Amino acid sequence: MIYRENGQFKTSYAADQQIFPIRQDRIAILALLIFAGVGVPLFADEYLFRAILIPFLILSLAALGVNLLVGYCGQITLGAGAFMAVGAYAAYNFLIRVDGMPMLIAVLLGGVVAALVGIVFGVPSLRVRGLYLAVATLAAQFFWDWAFLRIRWFTNYSSSGSVSVAELDFFGWRIETPVEKYLLCLGLLILFALVAKNLTRGAIGRQWMAIRDMDVAAEVIGIRPMYAKLSAFAVSSFYLGVAGALWGFVHLGSWEPAAFSIDRSFQLLFMVIIGGLGSIMGSFFGAAFIVVLPIFLNQFLPWLGGLVGVTISTAAVSHAEFMIFGALIIFFLIVEPHGLARLWSTGKEKLRLWPFPH
Amino acid sequence: MGRQIGEVILDLKNISLSFGGVKALSDISFDVREHEIRAIIGPNGAGKSSMLNVINGVYRPQQGEIVLRGEHFANMTPARAARAGIARTFQNLALFKGMTVLDNIMAGRNLQMRANLFQQAIWFGPARREELAHRAKVEEIIDFLEIQHIRKVPVGRLPYGLQKRVDLGRALAMEPQILLLDEPMAGMNVEEKQDMCRFILDINDQFGTTIVLIEHDMGVVMDISDRVVVLDYGRKIGDGAPDEVRANPDVIRAYLGTSN
Repeated sequence: MIYRENGQFKTSYAADQQIFPIRQDRIAILALLIFAGVGVPLFADEYLFRAILIPFLILSLAALGVNLLVGYCGQITLGAGAFMAVGAYAAYNFLIRVDGMPMLIAVLLGGVVAALVGIVFGVPSLRVRGLYLAVATLAAQFFWDWAFLRIRWFTNYSSSGSVSVAELDFFGWRIETPVEKYLLCLGLLILFALVAKNLTRGAIGRQWMAIRDMDVAAEVIGIRPMYAKLSAFAVSSFYLGVAGALWGFVHLGSWEPAAFSIDRSFQLLFMVIIGGLGSIMGSFFGAAFIVVLPIFLNQFLPWLGGLVGVTISTAAVSHAEFMIFGALIIFFLIVEPHGLARLWSTGKEKLRLWPFPH
Repeated sequence: MGRQIGEVILDLKNISLSFGGVKALSDISFDVREHEIRAIIGPNGAGKSSMLNVINGVYRPQQGEIVLRGEHFANMTPARAARAGIARTFQNLALFKGMTVLDNIMAGRNLQMRANLFQQAIWFGPARREELAHRAKVEEIIDFLEIQHIRKVPVGRLPYGLQKRVDLGRALAMEPQILLLDEPMAGMNVEEKQDMCRFILDINDQFGTTIVLIEHDMGVVMDISDRVVVLDYGRKIGDGAPDEVRANPDVIRAYLGTSN
């Protein structure tokens, strides 16, 4: 009954093109943002920040990037982890090789380098599509895995092969505590999500979706497939590069190439498939599902065991975690193949009519 | 009707097209005059759709030339055709199914949109102004086609007849000078056909758009077109005003068969 848009009349196209055209949505999102920015730092403990919130924010950003490419432009990729790695190592090299390079600028430059690399590895998409393109992007993954392991210059000739960033400096503000790291990631994520929304609701977003849905017709109305596809690769890789740099700098602190292995690429692809292809909101749902659920199961199973008087060993918990997690993925894909975002919007549609559905 | 048929705007000369050993079009020539409604008819497999695909550059003919407003081309490309103001609709619907009606028609204005990637990322400023200006244009088309009630519905959920209208809307959004319609009335009931006829005549009359259309419904073709070209097995067998074509013995033979 509360979720109604009755009486909210739009008198201009500008009002109709808002990101959240329904007033209740605007209020809810504002409340959520205030809660995330003010409420969470007040009560959350260090474990929550380190294990859940920061990884969730950074992987949401990465999932957003994958969704722009896979969900909006329809170009499937298995090289997401590689672009994260490129962003992380490029940012690292900018930071150590350029004197007085601010951390944030290094992170953004990491994104730019990843975007350029993304364009190069996006070229096969002009010729091949679908599974064949997936294989072509897999080449990016293997190439960069190899490059960061073997080309010592990238890791500044460190003997162990792992690199680390000692301190994070945000224009004079030292970022040390988990709260500060969390706020940095949150701020960047909000900014990038807004940009993603702007792109997808504008002309370039329509070009991407047109290429995804029917490329012949897109060409006939004057859309250039090369520009549309390569710009999608560039923007997507930029997001992934920034996310990769944050993952290295903020979340891990020190890392080796295995942090961005093919597992990461698959994880990101699962996120957008489960969350909802072609939906900004879906990227967040997917990231939350994949980051939070295993941890939740990890805590919940022993508790459940305690309830019925069985002690479950740690090994058994982690096995069960995998099985339940896999089963849940399959369950969600059967119930709603369009992902959690579709489930969410169906729920909202129902709510608008509730309690009089006819 | 206020329109006046003008000079030749599109001239197709000796077009031949084959796929491997199969000749789809052989040595076909005809012209299209400004502001007219030009119909292409013929039995199944006569090469009508191939002809449209040659005009807007999806297929590239092995021989012949296309003269568009005095410019000679050996073949078109989709991009060049779009820039030259040629729009088309598709026989078996090629809409962007995951996008809303509004987005589909807005996509048709893609060529007129100038804001670059960075301006679009910021949204406020040039990108938004442009978006709103084009939205106003698109709403005119939505009003014209009487599809206001479905503007926010994803195209994939619409019934066939309405999808056909959205397809027409997307082509109109390009503000084309030449509009190619590939069987705009296929699979429609009588009412939908009447609506579609009205739209086609209105487009031609109000905007002065030149229309090239393929249609199977002879009643419709004879009623609305100014000149008709008849294809059969990739050859041109008739060309002229509807009445002439109807009386042409070759055309009658192609449609009805012969008794020898």
